[in-house]
Amino acid sequence: MRRPLQMVLLVLSGVGLLRVSLFTDLYLRYVKEGMRPLLIASGVLLILLGAADAVAYACRREDGGHAGHGDDGHGHHHSGAPRAAWLLFLPALSLLFYAPPALGAYTASRQPSKTVTYEDENDFDPLPATSPLPMTLSDFTRRVQQDRTQAIKGRTVRLTGFVTSAGQDDSWFLTRIMISCCAADAQSVKVRIHGTPAPPANTWVAVTGTWHPDGTLGTRSASAALDARSVEKIDKPVNAYTDALPLTPTG
Amino acid sequence: MQRTDQRAEETEVADAGGAADGEGAPGWPRFWPLLLLGAAVVPGTVLYFGGRWMETPAMQAWRTVCLAVTVQALPFLLLGTALSAAINAFVPARVFNRVLPRRPVLAVPVAGAAGVVLPGCECASVPVAKRLIGRGVAPAAAFTFLLSAPAINPVVLTATAVAFPGNPAMVVARLLASLGTAWVMGWLWLWRGRTEWLRPAARYRGHQEGGSRWREFLAGFQHDFLHAGGFLVVGAMATATFNVMVPPSVVDAFAGSPWLSVLFLAGLAIVLAVCSEADAFVAASLSGFSPVARLVFMVVGPMVDLKLIALQAGTFGRAFAIRFSAATVVVAVLAGVLIGGALL
Repeated sequence: MRRPLQMVLLVLSGVGLLRVSLFTDLYLRYVKEGMRPLLIASGVLLILLGAADAVAYACRREDGGHAGHGDDGHGHHHSGAPRAAWLLFLPALSLLFYAPPALGAYTASRQPSKTVTYEDENDFDPLPATSPLPMTLSDFTRRVQQDRTQAIKGRTVRLTGFVTSAGQDDSWFLTRIMISCCAADAQSVKVRIHGTPAPPANTWVAVTGTWHPDGTLGTRSASAALDARSVEKIDKPVNAYTDALPLTPTG
Repeated sequence: MQRTDQRAEETEVADAGGAADGEGAPGWPRFWPLLLLGAAVVPGTVLYFGGRWMETPAMQAWRTVCLAVTVQALPFLLLGTALSAAINAFVPARVFNRVLPRRPVLAVPVAGAAGVVLPGCECASVPVAKRLIGRGVAPAAAFTFLLSAPAINPVVLTATAVAFPGNPAMVVARLLASLGTAWVMGWLWLWRGRTEWLRPAARYRGHQEGGSRWREFLAGFQHDFLHAGGFLVVGAMATATFNVMVPPSVVDAFAGSPWLSVLFLAGLAIVLAVCSEADAFVAASLSGFSPVARLVFMVVGPMVDLKLIALQAGTFGRAFAIRFSAATVVVAVLAGVLIGGALL
């Protein structure tokens, strides 16, 4: 690869990183929020590296005058980056012009629901009295399968997530995908929704309803399922790879 | 591309037509209208059909995972290449001679323990190890550092403690098994390793007399980054392909048998290529598996995985990468099973 192309590649990669981390929130489709400062710093560094290289290149050209091949005239032997460097254009251009969407129903439908971490079985606080009660999918699953006091019984809850179809059944899954580092380690948590037709896959919805009686509540035989009373569309949360309550209750 | 340019230049010379402008810019070939037409039609067609293929859910997931691995690793790769270029340009060779024991047999354990100081993912340590060899450090010691740095640094150990709350034995077992593997691999290299396996280009020379150190630093930084970055993309693609092709439900089929589960999680660590700062969380989520199998996952993961093999093949040569990775997997699995069996 020639020197000018290397500079272009460095600057493109840097601008691509800055585009997804500094100017937009696109980076949240791939990594966690904590990576933001690192990504911005990397973007700036890459642009600086490209610029420094351009300056050095221009200087040497003026010095050398007739420097035939334009490639480095002195000591060390990196006369050009290896072929593999071409591949870096793919992520750089992809970040700039063709950023793929966040993982969604396709990934979730191929995974079993994540086993919710089983903590100490008896430390459930009493549920707040608000109705409908906003809950995360993990919390709901934990309450249904572990809370011996059966506090969730008869309560109306409100869960948010995106739609994943469950085959030909008349039920569907409300889903969240969680990542612990980047999208390569995605895991999904699902709650089966009964009683309403499935919205199109990948739609973000808030579902209000009560536990769908199946198995013994408070034991692992209980299925994480909900009889839906209402389903409403909501905006996709900014940070979609978490199982958190939406900041504004109505989205 | 380079070849096309050269050919274009040769044509030019053969035609004795173009005045050599000395800037290396090739002149227009004679058949340029045809080229222009091809340049307009072919990419258009490819873009149209390729674009439709790219929008299928599987391809979107593939692109997302591929880009995610790349984006996640880039900052650490930059850190590693900056560090390696700095070692090359600014640190005199005598520093290493003073810090490391003269005899390689003793240098190996010191280098392994020194892995604590590089807080980063495994991508960072490959270029650093290359530069260390270039500065006269014994390859055995450099490879020990290469293996131990991503596995036992404070960030990774803290992440492990967070991922396995109330289970400090897991942190200790990870530290011991990783360090043990790195040491054994270092000594194994002393015993059996051959320098011919290393690509000659990997033997860097360090700072040249007379040149500007800063220019040396920049050139080394840029070269290392472009080089390693390209191989990072190869590894990310392999990981994404596995991620999309094999449904995670297959994973559960192996959880039952203790021996099979150890081997399966070792293999999973290789193909998943999760970065070492996150693999503890992934291991914690594989709750169907025995603690020993999960320990093996965390010991193998930072030392051998698809993107690392690609990176090492690019840096040290294919002959080295294949042998070294294969031996490391065996040693790491044994170390994980032995230490896990004793502690967990």
